[in-house]
Amino acid sequence: MNDNKQTRLVLVVLTATFAMLAVAFSLDLFGKFHPVREIPLVDRELLKTETWRRSYANLVSAKAELDDFDCYTCHEKGKKPVLKYDAKQQLIIPDEHSDIVMGHGTHGRNNNCFNCHDDENLEQLQPRDGRALKFEQSTMLCGSCHGPTYRDWEAGMHGRTSGYWNRTKEGMEQGKFDGPFKKQDCVNCHNPHSPKFPGRQPAPPPNYLREKHPDTDSSHTSH
Amino acid sequence: MDPLSDAPPTSAAPAMNRRGFLRSSAVFGVGAAALAASLKPLLELKDFSSMEKFLQKYYREMTPADMEKVLTRITNEVERQYGLRPEVRDLKPMDGVSFVYALNLTRCIGCRKCVHACVNENNQSRSPEIQYIRVLKMPHGSLDIEKSDHDYNPEKVPEKGFFYMPVQCQQCAKPPCVKVCPVHATWQEADGIVAIDYDWCIGCRYCMAACPYGARHFNFTKPLIPKDRLNPKMAYLGNRPRTMGVTEKCHFCIQRTRAGRYPACLEVCPAGARKFGNILDPDSEVSKILATKRVFIQLKEDLGTSPRFFYYFDV
Repeated sequence: MNDNKQTRLVLVVLTATFAMLAVAFSLDLFGKFHPVREIPLVDRELLKTETWRRSYANLVSAKAELDDFDCYTCHEKGKKPVLKYDAKQQLIIPDEHSDIVMGHGTHGRNNNCFNCHDDENLEQLQPRDGRALKFEQSTMLCGSCHGPTYRDWEAGMHGRTSGYWNRTKEGMEQGKFDGPFKKQDCVNCHNPHSPKFPGRQPAPPPNYLREKHPDTDSSHTSH
Repeated sequence: MDPLSDAPPTSAAPAMNRRGFLRSSAVFGVGAAALAASLKPLLELKDFSSMEKFLQKYYREMTPADMEKVLTRITNEVERQYGLRPEVRDLKPMDGVSFVYALNLTRCIGCRKCVHACVNENNQSRSPEIQYIRVLKMPHGSLDIEKSDHDYNPEKVPEKGFFYMPVQCQQCAKPPCVKVCPVHATWQEADGIVAIDYDWCIGCRYCMAACPYGARHFNFTKPLIPKDRLNPKMAYLGNRPRTMGVTEKCHFCIQRTRAGRYPACLEVCPAGARKFGNILDPDSEVSKILATKRVFIQLKEDLGTSPRFFYYFDV
């Protein structure tokens, strides 16, 4: 008789426990799951692989406006433009060219337009060796002074590359692992008048270490 | 008190009468309902691994037919979860290819574009955030990683007097993470990539403790990837979505590089600081860099991990 009572007691207690658990679960009384604070998604602009600048060749292939390269709408043919310098031997940039910021070379010492542009034909470039280069060939102009950098660029060591890494003959024969490899021109990244990269806003820093519970956000300062 | 003569069943088993039966069946019913209700949280385990996954073989023991089945399973799972049919492949290492990464510390401007391109390419969890690349900011003339800052957020980078050092998995030739894995869920492939089989990982996190570069990351919760940000080009050892409770890390974008393409972090780098290629090809960029540039460190060289990731300077 005693055993029977005990069994019944245990059963009742168990049933009650389960019933209470059932109520608790269905009402979600136990620590409600707090979804982690949503971290804002990164701007898709940051994921783009485009270069910062567009070269003349890019503009031509994109059929973009080329007014900027049409020198003889303003300049007179056969007449060499005159450069003006201030007392500190700094080039005075005329108002018509106010978009140009000169900053090429340390202390702005590369301050003669005709170090690179052809003064006889403004729609051409002219390195110091006297060759005439088109705007599309600007990389060769840069290379005429920046030899080591040009050498590195040719080998793919300087500058941006994209596409496929395998350029060996075997890779070519395999075919399936080989594809276009693309190098960028100097002016795709550097502004030729001021080649040093300007500062840019960085992408957002990591969030995970500062992840806080929504309830404790304010109490964080106290510790 | 002879049990045979005294009709013992009635006295010993009172439950046989009508009231007793009703009472005990009511108790039983309530109990069963309560038990079912208390097991309710189990229903919320939506991504409970399938029997197929449970019985799946070890990656390196799978036959091509096994792999085909596994890839179909993964494709279906991803489609069910994200409503997008991915292209999941199992890419093998190529013959005569050994990958090396080189990073030009002179060129890196610390813009962190690589970090986010990587997250986007490799389907990392957005919340909580998992990032394979960490960009460390250090003052010029020092290389004290302990004092570096990865939380910098100025108006503009690069800041004067500082340089930036992105750190990710170094794909060591002697990887400590592989050494400690108790179930061989991570190993070094023939092309040098240290790969993880996410279906074999038991989540013990020994590898995270062993890695001197903090390159391994753990999925403490189910990774959150918005559907419209899922990259459908996936590889088994690469960027297929991970589950809760497994580690993950940079794998040199296995789904891209083993198909011949450059890694995502390289393609997005606006300064051209990142270089990648086959060290066995003497004409590759990385071969030339290691031959001609001032390759200054393998990070934490003294630990003898022999990374495949090299930092170098111009000039």
